[in-house]
Amino acid sequence: MVKRRDFIKMAGAAGLGLSAAGWSMLAAADGVAAPVAVGVPTNTGIKGRVVVIGGGMAGATVAKYLRIWGGTGVDVTLIERDSAYSSNIMSNLVLNGSRTMSSLQYGYGNLTSRYGVKMVKGDVATIDPVGRSVTLASGTRYAYDRLVVAPGVDFDILPGLETAAAQAKVPHAWKAGPQTTALRNMITAMPNGGVFVMSIPGKPYRCPPGPYERACVVADWLKKNRPGSKVIVLDANPGITAEVHSFTDAFNVVHAGVIEYQPNVTINSVDATNMTVNTSIGNIHGNVLNLIPPHRAGKVIAANGLADSGGKWTSVDVLSYEAKVAPGIHVIGDASATTQPKAGHIANQEAKVCADAILRLFSGRALDPSPHTNSACYSPITFETASWLTANFAYDPVTKTMQPVAPSSGEAAARSKDNFEEMNKWFTALMGDSFA
Amino acid sequence: MNQSRIIRGLVLALAAAPAFAQTTPPSGRLLASNCFQCHGTNGKGGVETLAGKSASEIVKELKEMQGKATPKMMDMHARGYTDAEIALIANYFAAQR
Repeated sequence: MVKRRDFIKMAGAAGLGLSAAGWSMLAAADGVAAPVAVGVPTNTGIKGRVVVIGGGMAGATVAKYLRIWGGTGVDVTLIERDSAYSSNIMSNLVLNGSRTMSSLQYGYGNLTSRYGVKMVKGDVATIDPVGRSVTLASGTRYAYDRLVVAPGVDFDILPGLETAAAQAKVPHAWKAGPQTTALRNMITAMPNGGVFVMSIPGKPYRCPPGPYERACVVADWLKKNRPGSKVIVLDANPGITAEVHSFTDAFNVVHAGVIEYQPNVTINSVDATNMTVNTSIGNIHGNVLNLIPPHRAGKVIAANGLADSGGKWTSVDVLSYEAKVAPGIHVIGDASATTQPKAGHIANQEAKVCADAILRLFSGRALDPSPHTNSACYSPITFETASWLTANFAYDPVTKTMQPVAPSSGEAAARSKDNFEEMNKWFTALMGDSFA
Repeated sequence: MNQSRIIRGLVLALAAAPAFAQTTPPSGRLLASNCFQCHGTNGKGGVETLAGKSASEIVKELKEMQGKATPKMMDMHARGYTDAEIALIANYFAAQR
């Protein structure tokens, strides 16, 4: 059996995406069974045209499930600007050198060859909600009966970081990609006794435990490789927003003396030339500045009048994810405003609820009145230990929202090596359900 | 309309429209798709294949998980389902081949 790290190097060298053989090897390295291709039925009687904008966790999953549940009568076109998806999940492990960005690339080949999804590479210019069509920047127009918009998040620009040069000096690396690799290189260039300054925006932001996890993996790497260094965490929130028990232990015990956590911090401005952040607790200088700005839905949302929630997100009916302001347009994943966290695992499940709803709407049936979704993730605390967090959400007909079923919501009692191994299995299985 | 006429009407509707009947999503499928994230699409692959397991075995395991004193992630997740939902999930996977 190929070891995970060796395989990741091979997969990285092979470039974009994974073949069926690649999936088998990756799954074997993680101790899980390889994803099984499911057929697309020909005789469901359901007919309709769906256009999906965005090929992340939500968009890829909805495209796949519309086909395997809806059959060949459901025409699915997925519009995506990149040729592969770069997973945000696990991308903090690029920062401590245990993974590479190229190993976190997932191509769209399976969606096309196994499920008959029509892939279109391009940027959306406009949505016509009345005429029900999407027009790309190239001018090509795609008509739809139902549109699914899954653009993920976009970021506000912090004062002082208006130029591309300033942004390159202070990467957020909160969308996995070149910034992640750049941040890794900045960390390895730190001197002994250096200072890594990171910030966390106010809720809601993508992957609630993610920034705390990042603080941990960076601190762990610095402890071993750049003695005397510090990680300063500037949190806009009044306290740790997820896995409070695990991260309190991580900050106060596991990484005591390395991580300095500051809640309730407002960032006023950033001086990228002198690498200083002006904050509500004073000026803070760092060798590396990693500031995660406040989020909003991807640009296509506001540009098409869909940002009815605080001017940033789309309000949806969580039985179908249909936008309240735009009949026929469904918004899933991080871009919608719901009671659920913004994260890839739950986006995969929102996509299935949405696919099921669209197929019911195509066949004139009532929506499923009691869907469940769930959020689950593991968080590395060190090179080889992790914690976890989970919540099972059920539809509450009184508030018309998804609510965590109380006894199903919680975090790991303690970090462990077993959790770290389970994390690799969970990740590979989740990506298989979405992209293979 | 008396009961026998309603039943006759239903039988006729079902007999006349087999294609329409196929548009009905299988019971428990959407609920069970929560499991696909770790157990593979349709319960095949992932951490453990569930497709084709007996319904009684799946029910028994989920009930045991709900009672674990120190829950792991799956034990915690199992606590989010009612007995009726567990039965739907178990029957769905038992019917998969």
